[in-house]
Amino acid sequence: MLDDIIQSYNEAVFETDRMAALNVVDRALAQGVTAEEVVFKVVIPAIETMMSLIASDPDANLAQHFMTSQIAVEVTEKMLPKFRNSPEVVGRVVIGTAHGDLHSLGKRIVMGCLKAMMVEVVDLGVNVSAEHFIDEAVRLDAQVIGISAMMVHTAMGEEGCRKVRARLQERGLTDRIKLVVGGAPYRFDPNLYQAVGADAWAEDGINAAKVIIELIREVKRHDTP
Amino acid sequence: MTPLEILVAAIHGNPAPRIPVFCNLLDQGARELGMTQQEYYARGEHVAEGQLRMRARYGYDNLWSLFYVGKEAELLGSRDVLYADNGSPNVANFVIKEWDDIAKLEVPDDITRHPAWVETGNCLSILQREAGATHPICAYLTASTSMPALLMGMESWLQLLMTGPVDLRDELLRKCSDLFRKEVAAYRAAGVHVLVYSTPFGTPSFVGMKRFKSFSMPWMKRDLEPGGVEGIVYYAGMAPFNAVIRQVLEELAIGAYYISPMDSLAEAKAIIGNRGLTCGVIDDIRMIHWTPEETRAEVRRLCEIGKVGGRFLFGTGVMPMAIPEANIHAMLDAAFAQGGYA
Ligand code: B12
Repeated sequence: MLDDIIQSYNEAVFETDRMAALNVVDRALAQGVTAEEVVFKVVIPAIETMMSLIASDPDANLAQHFMTSQIAVEVTEKMLPKFRNSPEVVGRVVIGTAHGDLHSLGKRIVMGCLKAMMVEVVDLGVNVSAEHFIDEAVRLDAQVIGISAMMVHTAMGEEGCRKVRARLQERGLTDRIKLVVGGAPYRFDPNLYQAVGADAWAEDGINAAKVIIELIREVKRHDTP
Repeated sequence: MTPLEILVAAIHGNPAPRIPVFCNLLDQGARELGMTQQEYYARGEHVAEGQLRMRARYGYDNLWSLFYVGKEAELLGSRDVLYADNGSPNVANFVIKEWDDIAKLEVPDDITRHPAWVETGNCLSILQREAGATHPICAYLTASTSMPALLMGMESWLQLLMTGPVDLRDELLRKCSDLFRKEVAAYRAAGVHVLVYSTPFGTPSFVGMKRFKSFSMPWMKRDLEPGGVEGIVYYAGMAPFNAVIRQVLEELAIGAYYISPMDSLAEAKAIIGNRGLTCGVIDDIRMIHWTPEETRAEVRRLCEIGKVGGRFLFGTGVMPMAIPEANIHAMLDAAFAQGGYA
């Protein structure tokens, strides 16, 4: 039965059909599938399946990324209150768009995928200063800072990622907080993330969640001697 | 031959000494005049002067009447702009904050009398007077299906497009398309030669093939039908669109394609052949970190693929201000050297 549900859910997400996906989930619950199973056996694997499907499909597109993330977060948020025990959280991320940048779509897609994969995400909004990124990451004990930038001047500028890196170094935080970036300029130049001092980058929301989870694990390994 | 004649020859596949070479240095104009971006973009005469000086300094062919892309939204009431002195200005406050605002949106009757057009008009008349007979003058226009990104932000636009009521979506798109039709007519009346049709939502990489056919194509037809496609260049904000060139050629008969550096130029050239102008576009974000030699090598590669059989133009994206001067010179020297037919 679960196989059927997984297949119908995957098809709905691939076709960006939100109503169909939500209907599959309702049907599953009615048939006795638990909220935990919906999230861990349907939603999260679907994100991973989408990753490989999208990577191999020449017609993969932004609408699919947007809807994968949108549907995943919608379903997860509906399921969480139904969980018998509160789920184990992978870790915590603060995310925002770089100083001077008001483009929030990329960040939103990344956030959706992270939330569905049980990472706690705190949205710092748009046009975020370097100081604010670090203060909030320290205050909230986040393992990762995520910075989204759509333009070259906000990706490369002195007030963006470079400054966050410099401050992390000054404050001796480089092992405790990892820095990850994304957005159009990094896709055109895959080496750019290194030039601005980031630890990693990802080209879309689904891969972003994967990369960020790896970084969280790295920080946690370092924390537990 | 003048740069304008060279462009016309390339479009028609007629003999010319070299290919046309386009370079888009927008925000660099402010630096050239020693102004802040806010000062620079406040007046059409500044933009015209900046563009004329940049062209004189580097020697490429085209002249831009575009200030910044967000300016188009000002025709529909957008006001706040976030300026930066190291990059492009951005829309800072969306006109459509909630779906109800769509009904209130008004397309001006005569856009050329709208305050947001006045400075563009001034810029155009200076460019026309100074260089209109010899150099291609370019204008930038956002397709109806991409305009909502500037009016409500990409996030809300995708939300409406993918999950909202279709009649509301269509009401918004009709207004954007009406604005487009008026703008394209106004630019043509002002003597613009090249009309860059910016249509990221007209690519399968945004909406997928099915939605491209059922959604993007009909709206593009509506945008372009009354005025025709003379001078129109298909441009998707550098997003890939090779997969739909054939259909755009057949259904819209657009004559020029600005190929994404993320797509294969050879493939695009093979599809377009002698049915239109193929524009080979350099990845000007990677150019920031290239050496002049690497820059020249990339120009050479693009020109070798593109100029076979003629009907080829070399161009750039929205050149970031961080590109070293030496690379701009290297790129243009190579384009002039490689783009010859001798
Ligand atoms: C659509 C588009 C537009 C549209 C909509 C813009 C908007 N409001 O969002 C229009 C046509 C209006 C436009 C306008 C402009 N644009 Co534009 N645009 C694009 C285009 C084609 C796609 C951008 C996009 O929205 N992608 C979809 C989102 C979801 O993708 P994303 O942000 O990359 O996010 C994904 C990943 O990067 C990643 N990710 C994102 N953030 C993060 C964060 C972390 C931590 C991680 C791990 C991952 C991650 O996951 C996301 C989800 O998959 C790109 C080129 C391209 N092919 O990318 C140019 C591009 C971004 N634009 C560019 C420019 C310059 C502009 C303008 C500034 C031009 C101007 N002079 O005015 C204006 C600004 C308009 C404004 N806001 O006022 C340049 C920027 C580079 C540069 N030169 O600085 C680009 C790269 C084109 C180019 N090569 O020249 N644009």
